[in-house]
This record gives sequence, C-alpha cells and structure tokens, in this order.
Amino acid sequence: MSYSSFETKEQASARALLVPLCLFLGALLGFPTLINLWYSFSDVSFQNMIGTFVGVDNYVAAISNPKMWQALGFSLKFALICTTLEVAVALVLVFILHPLLIKRPWMTAILMLPMMVSPALMGVMYRLILNEFTGAVPVYLEMAGYAVNFLGRGNIYKTVVAIEVLQWTPFAFLILLTARQTVSYELEEAAAVDGATGFRSTFHILLPMMKPALVIVIFVRFIDSFRVFDHIYVLTGGGPGNLTTSISIYIYKLFFVQNTLGEAVAVSILLLLMSLTLIVVAMRLVVRRS
Amino acid sequence: MGNDMLRSKFLTAGAAILATALSASTALADITILAWPGEPAESAFRKVLDLYNSTEGAKNNSKASVIYFSQQGFKEKMLADVAAGSKEFDVMLTATYDVGLYAPFMTPIDDLITDDVYKVVSKNSIETQKYEGKTYGIPTDLSLHFLYYRKDLIEQLNTDPAWKAKYEEISEKILGKKLSPKPADQWDWDDFIASALFFTKSINPDSPTRYGTVLQMKNLLYNIMLWQGTVASNGGNWRDKDGNITVDSPAYKRGLEIYKIITDNEATPGDSSTYEYGEANSVFGAGQVAFMLQWNAAVPEFNDATKYPTVAGKLGLSHEPAGSEGPKTHFHSLGLGINKNTEKLDEAKAFLSWLATAEPMKLYAKEGGSPPLAEGLMAEIAGDRPEMLLMGEHAAKYGFVMDGATSAKAMGIYTNMAENFTGYWTGEMEQDEAIANVVADMKKAFAQ
Repeated sequence: MSYSSFETKEQASARALLVPLCLFLGALLGFPTLINLWYSFSDVSFQNMIGTFVGVDNYVAAISNPKMWQALGFSLKFALICTTLEVAVALVLVFILHPLLIKRPWMTAILMLPMMVSPALMGVMYRLILNEFTGAVPVYLEMAGYAVNFLGRGNIYKTVVAIEVLQWTPFAFLILLTARQTVSYELEEAAAVDGATGFRSTFHILLPMMKPALVIVIFVRFIDSFRVFDHIYVLTGGGPGNLTTSISIYIYKLFFVQNTLGEAVAVSILLLLMSLTLIVVAMRLVVRRS
Repeated sequence: MGNDMLRSKFLTAGAAILATALSASTALADITILAWPGEPAESAFRKVLDLYNSTEGAKNNSKASVIYFSQQGFKEKMLADVAAGSKEFDVMLTATYDVGLYAPFMTPIDDLITDDVYKVVSKNSIETQKYEGKTYGIPTDLSLHFLYYRKDLIEQLNTDPAWKAKYEEISEKILGKKLSPKPADQWDWDDFIASALFFTKSINPDSPTRYGTVLQMKNLLYNIMLWQGTVASNGGNWRDKDGNITVDSPAYKRGLEIYKIITDNEATPGDSSTYEYGEANSVFGAGQVAFMLQWNAAVPEFNDATKYPTVAGKLGLSHEPAGSEGPKTHFHSLGLGINKNTEKLDEAKAFLSWLATAEPMKLYAKEGGSPPLAEGLMAEIAGDRPEMLLMGEHAAKYGFVMDGATSAKAMGIYTNMAENFTGYWTGEMEQDEAIANVVADMKKAFAQ
C-alpha cells in the first residue's frame, strides 16, 4: 500500500467522521442563518412572520439610521475601554497575587465570585447599591464627605463601564493566572541566575511566555463587551436618551419593541459580517506571529 | 318505512341522551393564566385563583394556575410566545396601550360581555379593552396617576408666613414670576415647579426634604405615560381628528419644559434618569421629597406604616396639576383575555365569565388589586379601599387616552418618545431635535 493511498483512506475516514458534526451544525446554524437571511430581505413582523420580499430596503434603512451608528460607536468604545481595563487590572493582580495564590489556591475561588452572578442580576444589585438614598456606596461616601451620584447623567457611562470591569476582570485574571503558572520555575530561576529579575524578567520572559493567553483573553473579552446587554438594559434601559444604548440593546428594541423584525435582523447580519472580518484578520495576525 | 323512521327516531333520541350525559359528566381541563407580576396585585390575584379553584373550578373539575414573567421585558416575552404559537398559557394579559398589537393573537370575548358584566365592571373600562370594535379582555386593574404629597408639608407651606415668603422669593427668582402657595388640589404646573424648587435643599437650605419631587425619567415607555398628563392638560394629543401628528405643538413643548426646569434646577434626585416606579416610591417613602406624580397602585404601600413609617398617615392624594384644559391623567386598564392558540377555549371562557362576577372582583379589590368596579360595587368596597372611589372619579373626570395609543404601533411610539424625551431632559439633545425625531417616527409608524 503506497503512502498516498493510505493518506487518501485516512482523509476519507476523517471526512466521514466530520459528517455528523457538519449535519449538526447545519441544522443548528444553517437553518437559522437561512431564515435570518430571508427575514433581512423581507418586511416581517410578529403579525406577519412569513414576510414579504422587499429587496435591500432593510439594509438601506439600517445603514441610513444614525441611531445604529451611534449604538455601534457606543459598543466599540465600551468594548475597547472595558477590555483594556480588565486585562490591565488582571495582569497587575496576577503578578501581585501569584506568589500568594500558589500557597493558598482556594483564594482564587473568592476572586471568581463576581463572575458567578448573572449580568442582569448584577444590574439590579448595582441599581440598589448605587442609589443616591438607599445605596450603601453613596451613603458611606457622603459620610466621608464625598457626594458622588453614580447613576446621574454625568457619571452613568463610567458606572456601566465600572460594573462590566468589576464583573469580568476575574475571568481575565483566571486565564492569565493559569498562563503565569505554566511558566516553569526552572526558567525563572535560570533567568534570575543570568541577572534578569523584576522588570526585565516580567517584560522579557513572563509576558512573552503569556502572550498566547493574553491574545485570547483580549479577544474573548472584546467580543463579550462588544455585545453587552444585560446589566445596562436593567440599569438604564439604554438611556438617558440613547447615551448607553449598545448595539445589542438597539437590535433588541428594533425587534421586540418597534416590531421591525426585518431591519433588526439586517443590522444583526451587518454586525456578523463586521465581526467575521475582524475575526479573520485577527486570527491571521495571531497565526502569522506564532 | 314506518319501522325505519321509528328506529331512526330512537337512535337520534339515544344519541342525544348519550351526548347530554357525556357533556354533563365531562370535566373541563385545567388552565394556565399568564398575569402581570408585582405587588399588591400578584398576591391579590392568587387569592382570587384560590377562590376559583375551591368554588367554580372545583364544580367544573378545572383548576386554574398562574405563571409570571419578570416585569422587565414582560411584553416582549409574551409577544414572542404568542407569535410562536405557544400554548403554555390559555389566558393572557391585555392592556389598553397594546391591545392592538396583541389582538391578532387573541380570541375576542364579546360573547362574554353581558349586561351582568356591566353591573360588575364599569362600561368605560370595557371600552379600553376593545380594538376595532371587538373586546379582548375583562379589565382587572385600572391604572392612572395621582399627585402624591405630604399633607404635613404642604399644609405648613400654606400656613407658615416664613415659608410663604421664601416660596414667593424662589418662584420670582427662578421662574420670573411671584407665585403664592396653594393647596395641592388647586395647583397648576407652575405651582408644581415652584413647590419642587421650594422643597429642594440646594435652593432652600431650610427645606425639610432634600428634593422637592422625584421624576421618573428612565428610558422606559411607562415613564412617558406618567409624564404625558403635562401635555394632555394643555390640550396636547398624538394626533388630531384628521390623523395628523400633533406632537410638534406648544402643549408638548410645555410638557417637556416642565420636567426640564425641574431637572436643570436639580429639584429631582440626580439619578432620576435611572428611576422608575420602585425607585420613586422608595425616595418618597423615605421622606426625601415632598410630593410626586405616581401610579395609583402605590397607595396601599404608603398607607402601610410598617413599610413607610415616615409617610403613613401623612399621605395626601390629588389629581395632577392643571394646565390650560384643567387637570388630566393618562389612564389604562390591564385585563385578562384568551390566547388564540389555546386548546382550552371553553375552560378559558368559563374562567373569564366567573372572573367578571361580583365575588371575585370584590375579593381582588379587598386584597389590594385595583379593579375598575361599577358604581354600586365601588361603594361597597370603599370602606376598605377609599382611594378606589377617587380612582373612579378621576378616570371619569380627567382620564384621557391619546389618539392612536391603542394601535399596534403604540408601544413602539411610547418607546421612541422615551428615548428622545429622556435625552432632552438630561441634556443629550435639544428639544426641537427630540420632537422632530418623535414626529418622524410616528409618521413612519402610522403610515404602515
């Protein structure tokens, strides 16, 4: 049996093994994708779920609506700020707490607590905690001589960012801590013997070793923050005005409140195309670098 | 031939007897009701269901159970369910402001609306459950707005010479006209603003409350319903008789301005842009403001000394302040109707027929619900719920429903108003821009 025929047989069996997965994905992703494509080219509402073909009208309406660009801008800015803050804080925490957590690993579970709360519940919690009259934080701050209105129009943007960062920094921390712990002690010891300690060790040995994990964390957190919905919707409803309307909230309102299902789906598909482009570019960069 | 006829008659009679016997012994199936969550209505409705299950339901061997979605996104979830053909609930919520949206997914119940029903619930409230001439729900709750105020504070404002002088000084300084205090039931919107300024500590350091009032300005459609009494009292409406959009009008501008003046002068809490029903109650109940506009559902809470000791016993209720057309209040009814997808139509109708009788409606009212009872029953219940008389009176005298506000597009229009008007109040956009956005949206919605 030649090498090439062996390879062909192996390829054939590999393809056969992929068939169930492809069927599964086809059913779960393919059908909704096709339906959504039809919806995006149709005038469709809850009263008329079959829809009437309207060509690219929904896409034109979506693109020409300044509110979509405003919501998209909010989500992009929100994702950039939150990702930067979460990864930076997580990195600092990893380097500070790593020696402690090696000795007391159970403490990691405590740091994970915010992540275990559902984002919608997080919104409700902060609605109470930050309330000017009944909230613990403003009351104690006022007692200390600082009157801060966290949910007021001047601070609401910072507040929703802070809530996102508080909830999801533990996720970044967990991944980066795992990456930090995979750096072998011998390597660090050898570097120390060669005189690389502190700053040099961190920037020339630890961070390059943690780079794949860092890229993944940035990627996951950016995508997650970009599609933020729950806590903002509960806390502000996307307002005041459209100040905190993310693209997910915008799509939700188009779909469920305005009953313009076609336009909502068209925005979703535009968003999918943008995200896919971004993912392809990012993955190529990562693969090329590695 | 004669024998055949005789046999046929016997068979027909036998079948009729069998059918009668079967129908007499066939029990109705159990039903599920999707109702509006939140106290006190939720507990009250559970009591009504207990009564049904132990009386009429037990007789028919049909048990009724209730399910709830959370208030946040309730309507969206219900819409998605009924549009998907869900049979998870047989009886569902109806509301004046979205009866047009849900009508295609509901079964009309005009056959249940007999003369006896009008003796239990008011005719006007049945009208608010109609869309294009058909009735879709039995009204269970009437919702409108009161001016809630602290009797002790407003009384002192009207009697204390020092307070009066300060009030006049503040109104002249900020509003540009010298106003004198009045009893709350004589207020117009200028008095409302001036009183809000007077009871704000940053403007009047001697104020017993931190803020004058609390406005609900979260980007939420219900907050627009609460606000639009300012518009209707000045003659504003969504549309005129010819169907033209009339939002770009002095009445709307005045209504928007009332909230804006109060917000800009910080006479409402700084985080009001995230406030809705619950937050406003907690602020008023904690004695941090002197008065507020609020839904009628809050009255039982403020009369409960264990819940709000600062306010209990000092609560005053009045109609909303007057505009050029006198006082007005938005009103709507919530009700229960039948899911079109149900396979238990007879059972659902049996339940609704029973619900529209005196005993369950009186029980619901006694337990904290706000059913729009007919006059005779209202008088019977007034001893337990005195504010219900006021509700009936206000709905009849001051109640309004904006033109087009029961259409399939009403929810979307309210939501768009909430986006734009809260944006104006908090300085995100100019008044003209907010109004223009709303007008454009309404033109699009009503053109479809």
